[in-house]
Amino acid sequence: MKGPMAGSVLALLAGFGFATAALADGEFAGVTVEAKLIGGQQYEALYARIADWEKATGAKVKIISQKNHFELDKEYKADIAAGTTNWCVGSNHSSFASQYPSLYTDLAPLLPAETVAGFVPANIKAATIEGKLVMLPRAQFDVSALYYQKSLYTDPAKAEAFKAKFGYDLAPPETWDQFRDQAMFFAAPPNFYGTQYAGKDEAINGRFYELVVANGGKMFNDDWTPAFNSDAGKQALQWFVDLYKAGAVPPGTTNYLWDDLGNGFASGTVALNLDWPGWSGFFNDPASSKLAGNVGVAPAPQGSAGVRTGWSGFHGFSVTENCATKEAAASLVDFLTNEDSQKLESAAGPLPSRTAVWDHVIAEAKSDPYKSEVLAAFQETAKTAFPVPPTPYWIESGNLIFPELQAAILGDKTVDQALEDASDAVEELMRENGVI
Amino acid sequence: MTRAKLPPWLVLLLPAIVIILAVVMVPLLLSLYSSFTPYHLTRPETLWKWIGTFNYVKAATDPNFWRAFGRTVLLLTIALNLEMLLGLGLALMVSKVTQGQRLLRTAMMFPMMFSPILVGFQFKFIFNDNVGLVNNALQSLGLTERAIPWLVDGNLALFAIIMAEVWTSTSVFAILILAGLFALPQDPLEAAKVDGCTPWQSFRYVTLPFLMPFIYIAMAIRSLDVARAYDIVQVMTNGGPARRTELLWTLIGRTGYVDARMGYANAMGYIAILLSIAFTVYFFRKLQSARRELGMAD
Repeated sequence: MKGPMAGSVLALLAGFGFATAALADGEFAGVTVEAKLIGGQQYEALYARIADWEKATGAKVKIISQKNHFELDKEYKADIAAGTTNWCVGSNHSSFASQYPSLYTDLAPLLPAETVAGFVPANIKAATIEGKLVMLPRAQFDVSALYYQKSLYTDPAKAEAFKAKFGYDLAPPETWDQFRDQAMFFAAPPNFYGTQYAGKDEAINGRFYELVVANGGKMFNDDWTPAFNSDAGKQALQWFVDLYKAGAVPPGTTNYLWDDLGNGFASGTVALNLDWPGWSGFFNDPASSKLAGNVGVAPAPQGSAGVRTGWSGFHGFSVTENCATKEAAASLVDFLTNEDSQKLESAAGPLPSRTAVWDHVIAEAKSDPYKSEVLAAFQETAKTAFPVPPTPYWIESGNLIFPELQAAILGDKTVDQALEDASDAVEELMRENGVI
Repeated sequence: MTRAKLPPWLVLLLPAIVIILAVVMVPLLLSLYSSFTPYHLTRPETLWKWIGTFNYVKAATDPNFWRAFGRTVLLLTIALNLEMLLGLGLALMVSKVTQGQRLLRTAMMFPMMFSPILVGFQFKFIFNDNVGLVNNALQSLGLTERAIPWLVDGNLALFAIIMAEVWTSTSVFAILILAGLFALPQDPLEAAKVDGCTPWQSFRYVTLPFLMPFIYIAMAIRSLDVARAYDIVQVMTNGGPARRTELLWTLIGRTGYVDARMGYANAMGYIAILLSIAFTVYFFRKLQSARRELGMAD
């Protein structure tokens, strides 16, 4: 059934052009597409558009699960274990995708080449696992740039004191060494901190990973043996340790996740904050942030190898291999990631993953200097951004690595010992699973 | 042709046997079997690969597992004893109240009505180093200038978790002990008074021995509860940072559901169950000896 149906859909797609291709009247009448979608207020605007797709195609969408990605991840794993994977559309994330090699189908044969060509090539590359295009990215591209309090850089007394201490001018940091100097300089605990970092789970692993890369290292060798117990890795971990020891970060930072960081920076008690694009509006909104009007945004600083940090990820939608109506499901995925959908989502702040929508949001922001500054910083950072290593063991190895990073930060172990222990544990994991 | 007839006792028990087999025995045996395989949730085919005692050896030789095991025993010991002492005190005080006792008893049970997840969030906020109530109070009172990292320091974090456990479950002890106090016969107490016992002596040699069976029942129930402590800890620290508050079930939960290594998680689970069995056996023995002391039949 797959062949002829796919053929007819492709013919239709070719005829109507990419954005509205599958929306031929009643094309999928009577079909019900079951979906598991990421939940949250910020995603609802897009889901409101599903009614338009239903109206145009005659199909129905039944949302059978709505949770955050960590919960969805557990649910997908349970589904795979139980063999209950005949629902059709699932929210996916580039950081999780490689864990489910058999769950999702290759979207490339279900979509016209023009559709795929409309996306930023780096995003499509990261969405392609073992040769399969496992998801279409939505306008939720994430990479972190540097938010800072502008007023700290316009105070002549601070500028003078800083230069006297460090020997160079005080300006928003361009390297992670400068960042460390400035964070220590601005810190006045317990009321004001130089910076903060996410200190647990995948969050600290991601930050460590991007610093390792920025310092010229990598997490894994080509044969998937761990490679982070290197000079670049030690330098990266030392950076976290130095800031913690100096009291430049809140003492509870090892328990912080993204919400703690966002709210902390918005409370005005943190000088520098590496954070995601989704927070840009929140930080500059007087209703939610004490820093409204005082927020500067710069590209992510560079590591010792002259490379910018750029751990990136994006949300996307996938179609399961066991879906009985793949064509309808792919049409829905296409619709949810098309230009109109991406324009709608990115209007609220998140970054798009389609080239044309990037141009659109930049043009739209011309009259708003803050928004232009935000977009310029993120676009610059996005140029050299990189996804997580494409291994199904990324999350699992991360769960072995992050407690060791914390142990070094809190002083339970030395940097060398912590990285050695983490490396041994990851190597054992890879060996047990027959990877090496 | 005669139909084979099952004995009536078996027919009557059959529904119960079928239900127990379906909801307890089959999952139990399946999980026991999977603990001898490298079963990984995202690779169902691994369920059929037999690897013998590999998972058990791995757990038994993993220092992180034994540290979590030891920490769970420590948490259990401290939390149970604290809850028992506070519950006993609470019950003794409430039993003396003559007016509004019902209202007090109801109010005492309020903490039990909250979901442990919410209790976790509540205490996570209370002990937050930056915006938490405890630090703000300490700083406002001038008792400290610095932000105390309650949920970061190993001992303080364990203390914070114990506080949450004690807050939510002390009333279990209080209610059971209160029931014991209501059932307490007055004759021995009056006899003690006539014999010239001090209030302390009456409590120590008359009231307390009578309450011990109730205390041991509460201990047995709560030891099972605390030995599988997960929700409050998961929310407050998730076993971290740097495994400083890792308990058996946060470790097993992460291994099974986040890492998807269900075979290994089940093996750890079976070792962990030994802990619960040991505590239950211990408390039941204590219960029996306490009953014997009171001259009750076994």
